Amino acid sequence: MPGDAQPLVTPERIADGQARVAKLVAALRTVILGKEQTIDEVVAALLARGHVLLEGLPGLGKTELVKALSRLLSLDFRRIQFTPDLLPTDITGSHILQERDGYKALVFHPGPVFTNLLLADEINRASPKTQAALLEAMQERRVTTFGETRALPSPFFVLATQNPIELEGTYPLPEAQLDRFMFKVDVAGVDQAVLEEILVTRVHGEPPPLEPVLAASDLGDLFALVDAIHMPRGVANYIARLVAASHPSAADAPEAVKTFVKYGSSPRAAISIGAAARGLALVRGKPNVGFDEVRRVAAPAMAHRLVLDYSARLDGWDGRRVVAALVTAIPEIERGLPQTLSVDSPAR
Amino acid sequence: MDEQPVSIERSVRRLSRRLTFGLFLDVWPTWAVPAVLGAGVTALACRLFVPAAAPYLPWLWLTPVVAALAACLACWRRPYQPAEVVAIADWLAGGHGLLLTLHETADPAWHTSPLHERSSRFTLPRLRPWRRLAPLVPAVAFLAAALWLPQRRPAWATNTVLAEDIAANLTTTLAELKQQALVTPEEEKKLEEEIQRIRQGAEERVDATSWEAADSLRERLVSDLAAKQDALSWTEASLARYAAAVEAAGSGDAQPEAQSAELAAALEKLAKSGLLATAPPELQRMLKSGKLPSDPAALREMAASLSKFLGDAKGRVGDVARLGKEFGRFDPSEFPLGGDSGPDGDGIPGNGGVNRGRADAELTWGKESLPIDRFKSQPLPQGAGRPDDWTPVVELPGAPRESAVTSTAAAARHYGPSSGQAAWRRTLAPRHQSAVKKYFAK
Repeated sequence: MPGDAQPLVTPERIADGQARVAKLVAALRTVILGKEQTIDEVVAALLARGHVLLEGLPGLGKTELVKALSRLLSLDFRRIQFTPDLLPTDITGSHILQERDGYKALVFHPGPVFTNLLLADEINRASPKTQAALLEAMQERRVTTFGETRALPSPFFVLATQNPIELEGTYPLPEAQLDRFMFKVDVAGVDQAVLEEILVTRVHGEPPPLEPVLAASDLGDLFALVDAIHMPRGVANYIARLVAASHPSAADAPEAVKTFVKYGSSPRAAISIGAAARGLALVRGKPNVGFDEVRRVAAPAMAHRLVLDYSARLDGWDGRRVVAALVTAIPEIERGLPQTLSVDSPAR
Repeated sequence: MDEQPVSIERSVRRLSRRLTFGLFLDVWPTWAVPAVLGAGVTALACRLFVPAAAPYLPWLWLTPVVAALAACLACWRRPYQPAEVVAIADWLAGGHGLLLTLHETADPAWHTSPLHERSSRFTLPRLRPWRRLAPLVPAVAFLAAALWLPQRRPAWATNTVLAEDIAANLTTTLAELKQQALVTPEEEKKLEEEIQRIRQGAEERVDATSWEAADSLRERLVSDLAAKQDALSWTEASLARYAAAVEAAGSGDAQPEAQSAELAAALEKLAKSGLLATAPPELQRMLKSGKLPSDPAALREMAASLSKFLGDAKGRVGDVARLGKEFGRFDPSEFPLGGDSGPDGDGIPGNGGVNRGRADAELTWGKESLPIDRFKSQPLPQGAGRPDDWTPVVELPGAPRESAVTSTAAAARHYGPSSGQAAWRRTLAPRHQSAVKKYFAK
């Protein structure tokens, strides 16, 4: 209802937050060339306190992006190189029998998961048992070992990478695990001009030295600011309709969904879209989420949550293409224009 | 929405009005097309089966208006809510969400921001009504075609209408006769029965005999009127002769017997025709006594009174006679007879021309005089016969009588009631019988 919501964030606070985020983005762009869209998506997910799965071919800068992010944010950073023989305790930590003051006791040695920014490199190379060790950490931001639950430091992000073409000796992430990631970002290749720029500006491909641009306290302010971004009811309605229509049984599901999708997105997808759209709104310096932000984050937030039918692979459809069809089919406004009114194309 | 800046508020209101109008144009054809089609079907059904509804059919043009009222009601029940209007405005402005946000939060802090300025600029959607109104065009055309169709009358309705039409003219003539007191109650009763019989006959079966019977009755009425007119004229002339004879005889008691007898006969004829019923009472008393005044003063007085009465009666009879002719089915003026040598033809039957086709060539016989002129009544000289009429109006006492053996007219009168005359009376309209007779008499 008009007038009954909390007051908006002031333009000054938004401008201040946007400026700080812009510094982070600009610094990341100096490290990762030609990946503006990927950087925006990662930063938006970061501001929304979501985990990101980066998928791309080797050598495209996935790991470098995460490392640069850790340096710029002054956060504690750990990296786990996932291998088939990696054990869950290698991630969560374990109790080790130690002698203290003449007594022997099991002392907990925290694993690398106890950090602010965790890089799970080539996560699909570990066994599902090991991958599952991250479930509780990612969702509830805590770890339970030997019946003892320990909270993870805040903030806690998991940025995982995986290689989509090497299937030998890999274990595809189960749906439950994928659902924990707010975004699955496809890291695409770079064009000739970017390659040329890399060759000219980088010796041995080393990125330029980076200085932290955001302190932990700044990050906390940004999180509070993102939480204060307004979500209009009309936009929330659009998100809800998008996610609902991703199910093939939905009445207004587009043909692509009905044909190629076996299971649609979970409610967590809607939450992720809303949170990521808030983050993207701050990146754009807006006090509210708009339809445009939702359209922008829908693909990375929903594509990996769709369980596609086998026929989708045969016909060359992937999650992103299905989401693109979904976004095209579902109108932003629930009650649209009368048929006697038309617009050539709304302003974008 | 009053928390929005004025410019936004104005734009959103314009959008709201346009949405309302667009919604109406969306809904209206949905109601109007079936309604107009239904009206068209109704009109078609009435044109085919319900002739009585013909006067009310033009009201079916109000169907779209009624549909518009229903559409207005539907639009009123599900209008665009303010939040929906703002959502559309926001979408039109690019989907920034700021208009929606300001609508919900009513926070003025962002009213002057560039983002708000950008969000407030949107183009109103264009009105394209023809997409929805297109189906209305054939529906309206169908209704127009159904209304344009001529009214079909069922056989029973046609007979009734025609019977009423045939009887109406006769009834009007009879009413006029009654009003002018030119018909006795007995005659009136007979005429009414005859009109009723003609009407019933026409209702059962409409053919030429219905009109011929009506024409025959009308001819008879006119003929009776002509007889009454003649009787009046004869009475007038007899009165003049009687007065002249009385004057010539002087003041003696001797009265001119011949003129007196003629006047008495004329008055008797007048009384038989019923015309004396409307005469002044003193005149009636005097005439009933059967004795004409011998006193010149009283005679003059009676003559003046009788002359005035006769003049009035003659005028009334003349008017009604004209009225009777006007009700005739055949109007000769519609068919100019000859003399036309223009592009329409030379007036000769069978020679073509739009005014002299084969159809009416049988109805007139060359360059004859108009029937209406032929049957004009004209006073005959005293004692003269009436070659054109079979029934003499009156037989004067002194007039020479025709031989029943040698007279053609008498022979015709003799065989008149026979079946032969009835046969040709039935097959020919009475107005044309004289023409046929004349043709064969050559």
